[in-house]
Amino acid sequence: MRRSDRYRYPIIMTVLVLLQFTLRSHLGGDRVAPDFLLLALLIYTIRAEPGKSAAAGFMIGLLRDAMTVVSFGAGALAHTIVGFASSWAKAVFFAEHVFVKGCLFFAGTWLRNFIILAVSGKLQGSQVAWELLVWSPLQGLTTALVGVVVLWFFRGWLSPRRPGALGMPA
Amino acid sequence: MAIGTDRYASRADTLLFLACVGLSIAALSLPDQWRDPLAQGLRQSVLAPFLFLQRQTEMLAAARYRYDDVVAQRDSVALAATFLPELRSENARLRSLLGLGQRLGSGYVPAEILHQPEPTNPLSFVVSAGKKEGVRQLSAVVSPEGLVGLVASVDEHTSVVLSWAHPEFRASAIATDGSVVGIAAPHGAEGPKVWLLELQGVLYRTRVPNGTVIVTSGLGGVFPRGIPIGTVIDTAAQVQGWGRTYLLRPAIHPAELSHVMILTTPRPAGSDLRNAFTVPQDSLPPGEPPR
Repeated sequence: MRRSDRYRYPIIMTVLVLLQFTLRSHLGGDRVAPDFLLLALLIYTIRAEPGKSAAAGFMIGLLRDAMTVVSFGAGALAHTIVGFASSWAKAVFFAEHVFVKGCLFFAGTWLRNFIILAVSGKLQGSQVAWELLVWSPLQGLTTALVGVVVLWFFRGWLSPRRPGALGMPA
Repeated sequence: MAIGTDRYASRADTLLFLACVGLSIAALSLPDQWRDPLAQGLRQSVLAPFLFLQRQTEMLAAARYRYDDVVAQRDSVALAATFLPELRSENARLRSLLGLGQRLGSGYVPAEILHQPEPTNPLSFVVSAGKKEGVRQLSAVVSPEGLVGLVASVDEHTSVVLSWAHPEFRASAIATDGSVVGIAAPHGAEGPKVWLLELQGVLYRTRVPNGTVIVTSGLGGVFPRGIPIGTVIDTAAQVQGWGRTYLLRPAIHPAELSHVMILTTPRPAGSDLRNAFTVPQDSLPPGEPPR
């Protein structure tokens, strides 16, 4: 990790977290607005190892579960899987193209929503279909869009430096 | 972990992932009495500053919306306040019109003036009463203050009124004490005194003091006797032949009116309507005894 990353990287993560609690509610419907917290996790997973990504996902998911106790633990599980899978997929594909990262954000958002829906079992029938076929893709789209903008804007700060990827020595 | 886990994720990563999954499943299976305190503890500790931030943001947004509402309400009140004097004035006029109706007794029709934007509107205007309401041609049109004009033509439900400001308007006039007789007519269509009346044909030897109230004389059968026309304010610039001409300040300007009363029934001979109208109290100059 570069010396300057010590400050820049947490700043971006902090900004995304703050945006989640300040700006998000003003960006349209709750089911469509971009998920800045998940975006922070996904950006983190680009650089971090899968284990740390899973742990970070678990923490974020658990905190989110504390705010929506309808299915406590579902968010933790979903974010854990998404964090690990994102980091693992990034290591497998290792594409630095911005479109691939956008697809990663989109897929991560949709997968997170899918796991929560599947594990919690609170919605049924057409509600699940609407969530998975309409709302989740829309949220994934907005999240991916914001993610691409963030990556482009801070491209100098967020370039991946992960030792050990593709079996490279740490 | 057969799919190359050792290559793309270390054993520690895998173990950490499995631990997290296990903890998540454990959280899922927590009973309510354990789950709720845990969630509450997280909300009151780690999440507290973020929830506070979110609450403040929502309050800020709500305050902005409320500010817009307050500004809109203030603007509406300000707009309504601008119409308040006009409404009060109209209310007072309607009350005085009602008072005139009581004093006149019967034989009148109230009508609303249908104002038009044309500049000639004060000379001739349409009122909302016609044949069906009993209005006839040459009926006198009055307001609580005095004479407004006469009906020039009548339709089914509307009438055209010729106001005293019309160049062709004439009315036989007399002073309230009967000392002066003349013809009331509009002063002219030009100059600063355009909206004044003049009392023509006053005998040369008769001096009319300022402040004298001039009313209709009842001669000619068009206007009943005693309707205030105006108040003498000056002599006219020219003295013609053996008669004098005086300037009158009209009892009422047509543009100030919104409602009028049309006298429909001919009054009996000798009747005087003077007491039915509001004679201006400041008609006489200070120090001059009323005539």
